[in-house]
Amino acid sequence: MNFWEYLRSRQELLVFETWQHASMVFQCVVAALLLGVAVGVLVYRSPRLSGFATGTAGAVFTIPSLALLGLLITPLGLGVAPSVVALTLYSLLPIVRNTIVGLNGVDRTLVDAARGIGMGRGRILLRVELPLAWPVILTGARVATQLAMGIGAIAAYVSGPGLGEQIFSGLGRLGGANSVNMTLAGTLGVIVLALLFDGCFLVIGRLTTPRGIRA
Amino acid sequence: MTAPPLGDTEDAAAGTGTQDALHAPAGRSWRALLQPLLIVVAGLGWMLYVENEHLDSIEKRVLAPRYVAQKTWEHIELALASTAIVLVIAIPLGIALSRPRVRRATPLVLGVANIGQSAPAIGVVVLLAVIWGIGFWTAIVALVAYGMLPALRNTMVGLQQVDPTLTDAGRGIGMSAPAVLGRVELPLAAPVILAGIRTTLVLMVGTASIASFISGGGLGDLVTTGVTTQRTPVLLTGCVLIALLALLIDWLGGVATRLLAPKGL
Repeated sequence: MNFWEYLRSRQELLVFETWQHASMVFQCVVAALLLGVAVGVLVYRSPRLSGFATGTAGAVFTIPSLALLGLLITPLGLGVAPSVVALTLYSLLPIVRNTIVGLNGVDRTLVDAARGIGMGRGRILLRVELPLAWPVILTGARVATQLAMGIGAIAAYVSGPGLGEQIFSGLGRLGGANSVNMTLAGTLGVIVLALLFDGCFLVIGRLTTPRGIRA
Repeated sequence: MTAPPLGDTEDAAAGTGTQDALHAPAGRSWRALLQPLLIVVAGLGWMLYVENEHLDSIEKRVLAPRYVAQKTWEHIELALASTAIVLVIAIPLGIALSRPRVRRATPLVLGVANIGQSAPAIGVVVLLAVIWGIGFWTAIVALVAYGMLPALRNTMVGLQQVDPTLTDAGRGIGMSAPAVLGRVELPLAAPVILAGIRTTLVLMVGTASIASFISGGGLGDLVTTGVTTQRTPVLLTGCVLIALLALLIDWLGGVATRLLAPKGL
């Protein structure tokens, strides 16, 4: 069976696994975006807390994915739970870091001007600082998505959902029929998904960047 | 479990560059050693704790200090060998690809590198094993293939961001092209390239743990054994040691970056 025949014969399964992969990555990145921006907003005004937040996230980031997934098996068991937790944790670092960098990069004179026209802290954050920091935050989410795509494939080892299943089936059938096809389908599937998501980020970036700072 | 001293030391280092200079190096030296010390103590402590647990025969065999030490060493070998090969290929190639004559191709190479980077590590590793068979050397080739693009990208980006007026100035005072490269471009690109080496090292430690899926050895063996035999202590030991090793290598990379960075930047 050549690669195309394989793709056609497993069409349904492959579409299902691709969908699972995409949906897992999407949900984890959205969760990480909400959490990460919240953390960033809480700590960005204190250099000490900012350092602590990025340092902790950096330490988690340094831990290889297989190790983190393995550590999560003990409390969470196999399946979706450890995969989702691990993916969200890894996605946090770029988002937290970029939120802090983005918020600190906002021109202080603009914040002063906002205060001068009578805006309160909350409104300054929502209407001035976050919109101006948004492109940087979005870049963080983009990096997080690319990362989660690859780590999501390893999640199949702890029985997580997604295209990793193809890769591990290929490994399990090493030398047998279709092992190359399976591995190739899983790997190429992840690459295609990653490129698609990256394209989406470009579009989202265009649409959500405030008009005043659009290039 | 692996809490490196992220409080004061990191704050000072992450805050502003000048703060580093304000602190006398002698006063900082013992604090800089705190992190690796904590990592090593955590690793030894974990081993002591596990060895004193009630272990069955499978666990005893896999967690024997000698076996664990051998797996750790294999892991370090995998990571260092692949990093070395990656750098030997990627840095000269990156330099060659950013010479003026081929500079127009730079965006193309970076584009290809970006696409290649979205390949999942596990996919690259397993694909090579499926095609070439399993073992240490396939693992090395897979690690090199996976680490090559980020390292190449870093070298090229590092050279790209050198201010062109400075290379022009170098030319203007009569330096030859190799002299401009050696005395202007490379020293100015060094911080980015060195940061890339550190990233490669950490990436390789992580990817090396996947190498055990294709019989490449390393600490990943403890993880897979732990999962297949359902022995939690074995699984946890593998994970804890991989995590600690990654943090330790990251620290080493950070030290090397600081030591090798050219003065005056």
